[in-house]
Amino acid sequence: MHSLIQLSIIVLLLPLLSFVLLIFFNRRLPRGGDFLGIGFLGATFAISVYIFWEVVVTAYDPSFRIAWDFTWIDFGDVPGFGPLEIRMGIMIDNLTAIMLAMVSLISFLVHLYSTGYMQGERYYGRFFAYLGIFTFSMLGIVLSDNLFSIYIFWELVGLSSYLLIGFYFHKDSAADAQKKAFLTNRVGDIGMWLGILILYSQFHTFGYEEIYQHIRDGEFHMSQAWLTAAGILLFMGCVGKSAQFPLHVWLPDAMEGPTPVSALIHAATMVAAGVYFVGRIFPVLTPDALAVIAFVGAVTAFMAATIAITQHDIKRVLAYSTVSQLGYMVLGLGVGAYSAGLFHLLTHAFFKACLFLGSGAIIHAMHHEQDMRWMGGLWKKMPWTFVTFIVATLALAGLPLTSGFMSKDAILAGALGYAEVEGGGIYYLIPALGFFSAMLTAFYMGRQIWLVFFGKSRTHLKPVDEHHGDHAHDDHGHHEVHEVAWNMRLPLVVLAGLSVFAVYSPDPLDGAKGWFMHLVQTPQTAVVSSGGVHEGEHLEAAMYAEAAGHGEAAVHDDTHAVDAQGHQAVEAHDDHGEHHGPVFDDPRQAAIAHAAHANHDTAIRYSTIMVASGIGLALIVYAFGWINPEKTARRIRPLYLYSFNKWYWDEIYDATVIRGSLLISRILAWFDSNIVDGLVNGAGALTRRVGFFAGGVDRYVVDGLVNFTAFFVQTTGSLLKKIQTGRVQTYLVMVLLAVTAYIVYYVFQIMP
Amino acid sequence: MDVLTTIGLNHYLTISVLLFGFGLFAIITRKNAIVVLMGVELILNAANINLLAFSKFNGAMEGVMFSLFVIVLAAAEAAVALAIVINIYKTFNTVDVSRIDSLKE
Repeated sequence: MHSLIQLSIIVLLLPLLSFVLLIFFNRRLPRGGDFLGIGFLGATFAISVYIFWEVVVTAYDPSFRIAWDFTWIDFGDVPGFGPLEIRMGIMIDNLTAIMLAMVSLISFLVHLYSTGYMQGERYYGRFFAYLGIFTFSMLGIVLSDNLFSIYIFWELVGLSSYLLIGFYFHKDSAADAQKKAFLTNRVGDIGMWLGILILYSQFHTFGYEEIYQHIRDGEFHMSQAWLTAAGILLFMGCVGKSAQFPLHVWLPDAMEGPTPVSALIHAATMVAAGVYFVGRIFPVLTPDALAVIAFVGAVTAFMAATIAITQHDIKRVLAYSTVSQLGYMVLGLGVGAYSAGLFHLLTHAFFKACLFLGSGAIIHAMHHEQDMRWMGGLWKKMPWTFVTFIVATLALAGLPLTSGFMSKDAILAGALGYAEVEGGGIYYLIPALGFFSAMLTAFYMGRQIWLVFFGKSRTHLKPVDEHHGDHAHDDHGHHEVHEVAWNMRLPLVVLAGLSVFAVYSPDPLDGAKGWFMHLVQTPQTAVVSSGGVHEGEHLEAAMYAEAAGHGEAAVHDDTHAVDAQGHQAVEAHDDHGEHHGPVFDDPRQAAIAHAAHANHDTAIRYSTIMVASGIGLALIVYAFGWINPEKTARRIRPLYLYSFNKWYWDEIYDATVIRGSLLISRILAWFDSNIVDGLVNGAGALTRRVGFFAGGVDRYVVDGLVNFTAFFVQTTGSLLKKIQTGRVQTYLVMVLLAVTAYIVYYVFQIMP
Repeated sequence: MDVLTTIGLNHYLTISVLLFGFGLFAIITRKNAIVVLMGVELILNAANINLLAFSKFNGAMEGVMFSLFVIVLAAAEAAVALAIVINIYKTFNTVDVSRIDSLKE
């Protein structure tokens, strides 16, 4: 076993140990045992960083991969199926190492932050226990090497998300939100499980690499449509977990959980697990499935951005922003900009966690005020929070010099390239929605910054009657707002620091020159595309195919051989001449990668313009007051309401799915109480009748016979007993009579 | 009175029948167990008369022999029967056969 594997097992189990200790002993430990949680997470983080260092910095090899697995359950030879065994294992490649470090870092920071934020809460120790099991499950997802174990951990993060959303379970809204999150995720997970089963039914294995190898070898016996279906079903898991349209409704409601949880689970890590999963199954996705994914991502990004514009709750804006950014990531994966999508996952995790923790600091300082309408003018009072919030906001909006710029730009370039290769038309909708959402992102974040940090404090404007429904802390009244303590500031600073471009790439305009894009490269697709390449690309595609054909056998073990030959083909069409990305067997994939690269500058130009206009608009509306937002809202009231009410998705689901299931339940209840119960009752009544009849027969016929026998015997006996006197002389007379009778009979017989 | 002077087989048999009848009557009607036993003796003697009468008119000696046996048997029987009567008396404190009716239980 490789030493890194051993370390990763320790990394995986430490948070679980933290959970087990805290859930049982948090009442008996001083301070609810938070130091235990932080200690274990600190160790986890330290080991993760070591793994990260070994894999990313020391090895620095795009094809780095170590794996280890063991047979978990062996059912032997199952009749009618064949050998059935379930394997568990750990795989570490660059993406795993990066995710490992990211998850454990944010989890550690959130643990630290929670010591401040959750101070004095009733179930303080339990909170840290839940964070522990979440971290365990999330690391499990990251380290899994097969679909089965990722599904187990997938459900475990669902569970911990459920527990943490409902942390304030005495509030109805929190209890409802946790149920909603769990049930909505269930819809996606069913699809994911079906997708896993389709693949398993074909290959009898859950391992990623084995499945890809089988598909590459052409062992998929069903039609391509089934593979597409499997891809889309697997993607459904992501739709649920990553809050993609149309299952996004749970994520904004999940903000009922404590803010550190929102930062850790519902912004940085768990919701990104869906994107990570799509990245892991990327090779099996067919072009059709990818198109579906791209459109879902684009629609999600756009829809959530439009909703975020009008929300009042500071966390809700960030929640919709998260949905929107997740849409970007999914869009990126869908258009084949694999590394860009995952890059955005990483950068987004840091700046969004920073934003959420910042908003938590604000909420904490404002005594649990979440409505942005009653904030304002906080920048002087909370300078640390302000600066880090600004940095993270710029990264989210995607301004140059930030991490978000590089990743978002790479995605948009990929979308443009994809639309080009797919032949325009409706496919240009994807980059168009992406660019427009970029503008909206800049706008709503500008709005948020302005409402929260600038202007005058509007705390006193809050209507009095709204106080009653508020948190218990309200009786503190409007205390002075202070900057938060160091244990809440430190995470903000660290996360803001990680939102700067220099961490990822030396060139602030091009993430492709950075270490992430170098290490996490688009994997070879396992499915051979049939058509789909645009007319003008044919020649190029043929060249790619030829180049790849020479080194086909060596593709996986030794990419350099392919690289050498494929590189010439690339150079012929590459304007920049600096492209060192992977070379693909699949002509379609190659064409998309090439087009994405060619569109890099266009994407930079457009997205910068869009972001600038978004920020400009926000400044015009909120800073300079040239446009009155309330009047405008009234003028376009239907649109405003449409956005404010979140596109009415909750109402639509209420009217269709929820009412529908209630209707079906009612029909089934009717069927149950009338037909099924009727059958049962009918059977009961029939049995009763038969019983009654049988009872009659029993009582009169059978009993009659028995009674008659008894009666007969009794009567006969009472008659006969008179003969039996007990006196010898009577008997003698009888004998005499009998003999006489016999003689008489005998005499008359013989002599008639 | 030829009939009176010549005693034939029928006379013997008539006597025997009468004796048998008296014996039977005694057995059935008398209450005293001793008297009942005496009835039994009468019946045995009626049988003896029959045996002797047939023997006389048949000219053979078998009947005489039989009657001798019967007398011996009657003596034995009387002894056994009296023993039984004593036992009955010891058990029931009476020799009234009409009151000894334990057989009916």
